[in-house]
Amino acid sequence: MSSTQMLKGIIDGCILAIIQEKEIYGYELAEKLEQYGFDSFSEGTIYPLLIRMQKEELVTSTLKKSTAGPKRKYYSLTQKGKNELQQFMVRWDKLQNSVNHVLYK
Amino acid sequence: METMKRALSKESQSFLENLRLYLISNGKDDEEINAIVEELEDHLMEAESRGKTVDDIIGRSPKQYMKQLSDEMVTNKREWFKHILMIIVGFTAFSILTDAINGHISYSTMEITGSIIICLVSIFSIRKAFQYVSTTNFLSIKKEFTLYTIIGLLPIILFIGLTYLDRLVKTPIFYFSDMGTIIIVVLSIGILIGMSLWAKTWVVFIMLALLIIPDFIIDHIDVQPGIKLVLSTLITFGGITIYLMFNHKKMQKQV
Repeated sequence: MSSTQMLKGIIDGCILAIIQEKEIYGYELAEKLEQYGFDSFSEGTIYPLLIRMQKEELVTSTLKKSTAGPKRKYYSLTQKGKNELQQFMVRWDKLQNSVNHVLYK
Repeated sequence: METMKRALSKESQSFLENLRLYLISNGKDDEEINAIVEELEDHLMEAESRGKTVDDIIGRSPKQYMKQLSDEMVTNKREWFKHILMIIVGFTAFSILTDAINGHISYSTMEITGSIIICLVSIFSIRKAFQYVSTTNFLSIKKEFTLYTIIGLLPIILFIGLTYLDRLVKTPIFYFSDMGTIIIVVLSIGILIGMSLWAKTWVVFIMLALLIIPDFIIDHIDVQPGIKLVLSTLITFGGITIYLMFNHKKMQKQV
C-alpha cells in the first residue's frame, strides 16, 4: 500500500489542525504540510479537499487583499470544523495506539 | 514581492485554461469556477517563483486532477439548461430576423423540429470537444484546429441536409400573417437585445448586420448572380474575421 493511500482520511484531520492554528491561504497550507513531512503527495491535492470541507461547513473562507496583488482566499475553522478536529484527535490516538501495539508489542 | 508578479509559465497558463474549459463543459457554476481558477493561479505563481513546476503541484495526470476538483464541485444542471435554452431561443430569433428581411416567414414542421435537433446535436458536440481538448495532453494545434473545424462544419452540413430533406418530405407548413410577422420580428429583436445586454456584447447584431447588409447592397448593383453570391459571402465572412481579430486584440490588451 502506498503512503498516498494511507494518507486518505488522515490528511483531512491534519489540514483542520493546521487551519486551527491560524487563518491560512492555500499555498501557505501546502508549505506547512510539506514542512511537517507530508511530501509524498502533490500540493494541488489540498484544493479538492478544501472545496469539500467548505461544502461540509468545516471551514469557511474570506477574501483578503494580498501583498502580491490579487485577492487571496484565507481559510478558517467553523465550530463544526473544531468539533470534527476534536473527534479526529480522539480517533487518531486510538488508532495510533492500536497500530503501535500490533507492530511493537 | 516583485517576483510574485512575474507571469506564469506557458504550462501553467495552459493548465488553467484547460481546467476552466473542463469545468465549464462539465456544467459547473461560473462563480465557483472563477474562484478555484484564481486560487490555483495564485498558488502556481507563488510555487513557480520558488522554482516548482505545474507538475509538482497537480501531480502526474492533469486529467485526473481536473476530475478530482470537478467531482467536489456542484454541478449546476440548471446553468446548462439555461445556456442551451438561450442558444436555441437566440438562434431562433436570429433566423427569424434574417428570414424576415429576405421576405418569407414560413416554416415547415420538419424545419422546426430539425433545427432544434441540430442545435442540440451541435451543443452536445461542442461540449464533448471542449472536454476532449481540455483533458488531452500535448494536443497539437493542427489537431485542435481540425477538431474545431469539424465541429464548426457539422451544423452547416446538417442544415444543408435538412433543407434537402425538407424538399423531399412534405410536412405541414406554418405561415405568419402580416400582423403575425410584425409581432414575431419585434419579439425576436427584443429577445436579441435582451440577451446582448445580459451578455454585455453586441456580437449578435454585428453578425446580423454582416449577414444582411452585404446582400442588401449587392442586390442593388448590377453584377452576375454568381459573382453576387461570392461577393456577399466574402464580405460576410471577411467582416466576421476582422471583427473577431479586433475583439481578440482588445481582449489581450485587457489582460
